[in-house]
Amino acid sequence: MAEIDTNQSGDTRRDFLKKSTLITALSLTPLTVLKAADNKVDEQFAELFEKIPLNLKVNNKPFSLKVEPRVTLLDLLREQLRLTGTKKGCDHGQCGACTVHVDGVRVNSCLSLAVMNEGKSITTIEGLANGDVLHPMQAAFIKHDGFQCGYCTPGQIMSAVACIREGHANSKEEIREYMSGNICRCGAYPNIIDAIQEVKEKGAAI
Amino acid sequence: MGNLFFKDENDRVDGVDKVTGKAKYFAEYQLPGLTYGVLVTSTITKGKITAIDSKAASGAPGVLGVLSHLNKPSVAGYEAEGGAKLKIFYTDQVLFNGQPIALVVADTFERATFAASLVKVTYEKGAFNTDFEKSIKDASVKKLQGAAPYVRGVENAYKTAEVQVEQTYVMPVETHNPMELHGIIADWRPNDQVTVYAKTQGVKATQNTIAGAFKIPAESVQVNSEFVGGGFGMALRTWPLEIATVMASKHLKKPVKLVITRDQMFTMVGNRPAAHQKIGLGATKDGKITGITHTAFGQSSTYENFTEGVVNMSKFMYSSENVNTNYYIVPLDMSVPIWMRGPGEATGAFALESAIDEMAHALDMDPLDFRIKNDPEKDPAQNRPFSSKYIKEAYKLGSAKIGWDKRKNKPRSIVEGSWNVGYGVSIGVFNAGRGRASVKGILKADGTLVLQSATSDIGPGTGTGMGLIASKLMNIPTDKITFELGDSSLPPAPSQGGSATLSTVGSAVNDVCVALKATIAELAANSNMDATSNFVDVLKKNNLPMIEKTIQSSQNNPDAKNYSMYSFSIHFVQVKVHQLTGVVKVSKIVSVGDSGKIVSPKTARSQMVGGAVGGIGMALTEEAILDNRYGRYVNNNFADYHVPVHADVPEVDVIFIDKPDPIVNPMGAKGMGEIAIIGFAGAVANAVFNATGKRIRSLPITPDKVLMG
Amino acid sequence: MINFQYLRTTVVKTALGLVSKDPKATFIAGGTNLVDLMKRGVTAPEKLIDINHLPLKQIELKNNILHIGALVSNSALAENAIVAAKFPLLMLALQSGASAQLRNVATVGGNMMQRTRCGYFYDTTMPCNKREPGTGCGAIGGYNRMHAIFGTSASCIAVHPSDMCVGLAALDAQVVIAGTKGERKINFVDFHRLAGTTPEKDNNLQKGELIVRLEIPVNNLNKHIHYLKVRDRSSYAFALVSVAAALEIKDGSITNVRLAMGGVAHKPWRLTTAEAFLKGKTATPANFEEAAKLAMKDAKGFGENDFKLKLAPNSIIEALTIAKSKA
Repeated sequence: MAEIDTNQSGDTRRDFLKKSTLITALSLTPLTVLKAADNKVDEQFAELFEKIPLNLKVNNKPFSLKVEPRVTLLDLLREQLRLTGTKKGCDHGQCGACTVHVDGVRVNSCLSLAVMNEGKSITTIEGLANGDVLHPMQAAFIKHDGFQCGYCTPGQIMSAVACIREGHANSKEEIREYMSGNICRCGAYPNIIDAIQEVKEKGAAI
Repeated sequence: MGNLFFKDENDRVDGVDKVTGKAKYFAEYQLPGLTYGVLVTSTITKGKITAIDSKAASGAPGVLGVLSHLNKPSVAGYEAEGGAKLKIFYTDQVLFNGQPIALVVADTFERATFAASLVKVTYEKGAFNTDFEKSIKDASVKKLQGAAPYVRGVENAYKTAEVQVEQTYVMPVETHNPMELHGIIADWRPNDQVTVYAKTQGVKATQNTIAGAFKIPAESVQVNSEFVGGGFGMALRTWPLEIATVMASKHLKKPVKLVITRDQMFTMVGNRPAAHQKIGLGATKDGKITGITHTAFGQSSTYENFTEGVVNMSKFMYSSENVNTNYYIVPLDMSVPIWMRGPGEATGAFALESAIDEMAHALDMDPLDFRIKNDPEKDPAQNRPFSSKYIKEAYKLGSAKIGWDKRKNKPRSIVEGSWNVGYGVSIGVFNAGRGRASVKGILKADGTLVLQSATSDIGPGTGTGMGLIASKLMNIPTDKITFELGDSSLPPAPSQGGSATLSTVGSAVNDVCVALKATIAELAANSNMDATSNFVDVLKKNNLPMIEKTIQSSQNNPDAKNYSMYSFSIHFVQVKVHQLTGVVKVSKIVSVGDSGKIVSPKTARSQMVGGAVGGIGMALTEEAILDNRYGRYVNNNFADYHVPVHADVPEVDVIFIDKPDPIVNPMGAKGMGEIAIIGFAGAVANAVFNATGKRIRSLPITPDKVLMG
Repeated sequence: MINFQYLRTTVVKTALGLVSKDPKATFIAGGTNLVDLMKRGVTAPEKLIDINHLPLKQIELKNNILHIGALVSNSALAENAIVAAKFPLLMLALQSGASAQLRNVATVGGNMMQRTRCGYFYDTTMPCNKREPGTGCGAIGGYNRMHAIFGTSASCIAVHPSDMCVGLAALDAQVVIAGTKGERKINFVDFHRLAGTTPEKDNNLQKGELIVRLEIPVNNLNKHIHYLKVRDRSSYAFALVSVAAALEIKDGSITNVRLAMGGVAHKPWRLTTAEAFLKGKTATPANFEEAAKLAMKDAKGFGENDFKLKLAPNSIIEALTIAKSKA
């Protein structure tokens, strides 16, 4: 594991790297690794130390994985855990389609490296409903037709739930401002605002 | 279902799938052994590829192959004459900046992305031109006739009118940018059967394009596209990148997934072309239009011509004995445009409706009165009646709702603190087309009805609308009706575009329901049952688990040729313009739809709301900016290409006339996806003028233009 | 993106050691800008040192100085009760930046370290002296509508994109920086640099140094304050110009004033001349106009951004007017 917990400086890194072969491999620069792979020296070896362990919970289910550091939380969810409810809209933190909750806080999963979520608890759109019973926000989106194509919807809903929890849903104007990180190209905005306001006003536990 | 709310029959049939993340879009299908493609794109605008060094990429971990014109995997249709104008990986020619020139395929997305960055390309650069505005003035730049010139009465009659308006209106390139990134999954099997998961507005069109490119029978191509994350026109064709992915799957004998990046959405999947329009309007002093001249130029590409109906509306929207139009396209070294929501008409309406407002101001008339005064009873271009048109009623309802009586003709009349308040109006129109579609209906003894058609749903709610049509006709609750779409093996239907799906496929649903009812009636009569018997009882009595009918709808009512059929919209907006910063906020919106009978009220309203949001973008924020020195876009991302956000959009009041059109189709419903946006930008520009006295003739109306105008 | 090496530590000294010795290593905190830049190929570190677990998340008032750890998120700072009560200008500036999701992750230190949004900087095929010294400036003679009007150089006219930093510049904050040899403290206004001939350097942080906290002295500027951000859409957009304005008014006359602007320079732009003019004057429209005029001395447009020569002074006047009106 790439954790360094010591108060010493100087030789810390070297001492630490002695701990396991995996860690030793980490001391090689990626370019060296690449060169090894490039020359087809030992691709399996390369793969072994290109990946590092990651433990996290997704929708309350624990996962122990090995991932490349460059894998984003979004791509981990979609491509490896096959939780495709979280969407890729821009891959640069500019649209909000990939919004998930990390330890209860809404974030853009496209800009979060998966390995930075060690020990964290992730909630995606798939984890919002209680079995077959929709979360009140999901039901409100249906009632108010808060979507058309549906692609931004999981991000909008995750963001909407957080918006109320954060205490930023006290007026239409405030909701609009705090939901502005979620773009909807079909233009369902007014319906989304109505849905959030209704959930907030009904005061159901969310 | 949710515990807080009751289900409404007008709710979207796929609502639960969409709010729970269960709805699967093309990129979300998992195929065994799926591989990932990443495109390498040209970094020059015109010229020739002299070398592609893919050694490092090919040797990088996980890489399965690098495709380019250097290895040119066989595409039979490309070898035949004609065919696609941009033959991907079949040419060393670079036709625009950002052109896909190689595809790297690897076992993971990250590895493919990294390997693609290792591909080194060298070029021989050629001279190029991407400067649209400069090209309009430059006589040496080739322009092509985009449509036959149109003359009714006297050409340029406005020049002799008592009151004249002559102005130029400019629009930038806009990009569709649906939230879902474009791409495809292709799985070519050894028996030359190919399955694709596509993002398409037409599964049959995609099927035919792929079959044509690879010279295989259409039945050998299975296209799946159940959920589409928005299109707005960009998924109306199968783009070269999709052919490239099929090519890669065939070549590598593995399923390949390609999802392009947001910046690639600016150059690979079309755009709304930039436009430069001149309008000449003439009127008598008492406000009768005597001449309309509309000349338009649209941006196009050098390798393929693109035209749209920019000047159509000027021919019939207002009574004028004299109308002439001209439309040209300007081929530039850019990727080819494609229809974008309200194609042509949204561009034309901005110019025409701005000019109409300018004329009303010149005459010191209320622009609403001026429009009503010149509203034609019959279509003046075709000299025949409109199948239905309730424009005057729409003006009345909309103006009352927005509080038009507060508006003053004199600009800058209403001030609220640091903000000037203004009102604007504009009309939108689009052809109420109807095509031919087939629908299969399966009526089952368990009380359910399954309807199938190879149509699409890019967001308007196709299945919801079709279910409501069938529900009313068959007296079956909507939750017992399933509408299957997005599958090329279903009975054929045209692509979803031009606001024609409800009219086209809905007519076939109507016809199939009528046929099923007739069969039930026949069965009832044969088994001595009452003609009004429930179909479940009739089927059970006859020991039939189900009956099936497949019907191809007729393309039109036989009487249709005697009418002009259009959908109309009127947009009213109130804007607030900040005196010191030039910031414009749309503060009130009333959009009135005159689109016949409303079949699906909830989704129809959402379409109008969405059109208004798109209209705000067109009016105030959207502009794809190209640096003509390099031929590259400099704001090709969602942070810098500004589509409206929540905070830009006020509440939207939608009013429907909701009266059936007697001619267009059995439902009496006309399309509305396009009219929702057409005209909107003009209404905003007119409101900005009313607020500030500044006429902004170049979209988008950003703070700098207002401030310096 | 290269498959970089990833290391995590809970100790500041360790983090400093790892980055200072390795030219290809860099710190990652929220990552909202760094990951974006890595995806675009603008930067390609081969080793990331995850500093999110360093003990730098405090917000506390000590001896009338607010200490803000470098890893405090933008939203945590904006929601903090002390900040809301004593530094509402900073709160408004924070709320104007990015989106709720980004503010939840972006840190105070990271916000200071964010790179420009200039399109030429982001596109690795275009010339950019900041990204690749010596290649030229694409924005000069190109698309420069968003670009600087103050303190520009022939090699770069990019602007710093932060809102938070504009607020901090107005509040006389100080930056505490740790290096392998210990800590040093510099004034916030001296942290960021003008482009000059070295546009590749955004700020005065040395390789291997780390921002550990900010210190802001408590002031009386918590009533007549405003942060005005003018942008192309109502939210979630970078500033055309922004103004942080704070006034202390006694008996109608201005006893203390702070003015800073964003979207106009390579760094948050403190308007010291305008401040000096306003101090001791009455808070009248005429004085606000005069201050705005003085602030614009030495401003220079590059064509597409000429409108800022009018928008900037207008925005100063508007921000001062709103600040004054707040009770």
